Amino acid sequence: MALLEYAIIGGILYGIFFSLVAIGLNLIFGVMRIINLAHGQFVMLGGFGAYLVTSSLGLNPIFGVPLAVLGGIAIGYPLYYGVVPRLQRSRDPEMLSFILFFGVAQMIEAVMTLLFGVDERSLPGEALGSGNFGVLGQQFPDSWWVAVAVSLLCIGGLWLYFSRTRLGYATRAIIANREEALATGINVNRVSAIAFIIGLSLAGIAGVFVPYLVGSISPSDGSDLTTTSFAIIIIGSLGNPLGTVVGGLVFGVGTMLMQTFYPSWSNLVPYVLLVLIVLVRPSGLLGKAVRNA
Amino acid sequence: MSSEPLLRLENVGKRFGGLTVLDQLSFSVHGGEIVGLVGPNGSGKTTTINVISGVHQADVGRVIFEGHEIQRLPSFRIAHRGINRSFQVPKCFREMSVRENVEVAATFANRGEVEIDGILEQVGLTSQADIQAGSLTVNQQKMLDLGRALATNPRILLVDEIGAGLNPAELGGIASLLTSLAARGIALIVVEHLLDFLNRITNRVIVLGAGRLLFEGPLKEASQDPEVVAAFIGG
Repeated sequence: MALLEYAIIGGILYGIFFSLVAIGLNLIFGVMRIINLAHGQFVMLGGFGAYLVTSSLGLNPIFGVPLAVLGGIAIGYPLYYGVVPRLQRSRDPEMLSFILFFGVAQMIEAVMTLLFGVDERSLPGEALGSGNFGVLGQQFPDSWWVAVAVSLLCIGGLWLYFSRTRLGYATRAIIANREEALATGINVNRVSAIAFIIGLSLAGIAGVFVPYLVGSISPSDGSDLTTTSFAIIIIGSLGNPLGTVVGGLVFGVGTMLMQTFYPSWSNLVPYVLLVLIVLVRPSGLLGKAVRNA
Repeated sequence: MSSEPLLRLENVGKRFGGLTVLDQLSFSVHGGEIVGLVGPNGSGKTTTINVISGVHQADVGRVIFEGHEIQRLPSFRIAHRGINRSFQVPKCFREMSVRENVEVAATFANRGEVEIDGILEQVGLTSQADIQAGSLTVNQQKMLDLGRALATNPRILLVDEIGAGLNPAELGGIASLLTSLAARGIALIVVEHLLDFLNRITNRVIVLGAGRLLFEGPLKEASQDPEVVAAFIGG
């Protein structure tokens, strides 16, 4: 019974964190209808940003969070205006984005491998707290709780952005119907660029904590992180950013249950959930979002 | 009706690949006027609306609104200037409420204060204001699309086949609404296949055939024009 409690509570924490890992991918798909296949690589860049902050500057890895936001702006702005408007003028933006961002992913991975090698990097465990914190008698490392707190802040911030700001209102309108949004006078290109930057920044912020939740980070981790993120957003609801949280929780609890009771099978969890959801409820657990991909 | 046209198209051309969709199209529209745009399928009616509203850019020619060329402006800027349109297949924000759909348009068009309740009443959606737009019938979504366009406080309203599928009573309501908008000085270009409906609301129609202007004048005279007859029934 204690193991089950551990798996469920740990799964909820893990799931909240992985909601943050995946939410940027869903935001970018929802607003732009393009598939950022380099999403996991941007998460990985966030992890290496935290590694550099710690190893080169001697700072706490939490300073990787503002660095991820700056990186999101510095990379997202030129990348958006360089490729996205052209993609959207093409006949099949989704497929073309798939191919183009696959190339971007390979480039990022190759450059990072050249710079850092193929070795796994980890961050000092005590940097985010050296103890454990318990809930219902189950103990989890402080770093997990910090990661979950930051994830909740980011997801809550995104919810506030959608519900309380003029830009968020415009973003929701674009997610609902891009053509109609243009007809209402929304500067769709500018709002999309901001959403793209937010999506990359959230990916980078999540990356800061990946070494703590997963154990380490390496340049080749991006592809797995993209696949897991895909599974989470399809489980929740493709195109509905806040639906990602539902997908994240299902993934997190599923993974922790498997890791606890059948550890050698746990890597299969995202793929099995993905296949099940596509077969049983193709629009995701939250249902109504458009499935164009 | 003022003497200066509100909107003028000069030799507008548009091609999609090897297909010429609009060919040297020129016409003008005055404030307070309702102009019908008719023609067989594929004659370029919706493309004309798309070019005016900025969904497509003209390859050649000029679109002049209130004395300024607008043919290179993106559609959201054209909406800010005061040109708006409804869609042949209504496109609403399905996950938002009916009221939110209208509010979004009023918020982002930057066209001054708009009375949301008044617009909902005009398009007959007052009692549906708080339900999700996606749960409306297709005809109600058409009315919402029109309401959304009205919430941008347009000087010119482009109405694309709003009559299809409506019953006579609903058509009568739309005719009254469009006529009242024109009486407020709004210019309307109405794409429609329902000629009786157009006859009730327009003094002038523009007939297109293969992207060219075939006829301009009262609808009743159009049926006697040999080019128009040939375009509609072949020959």
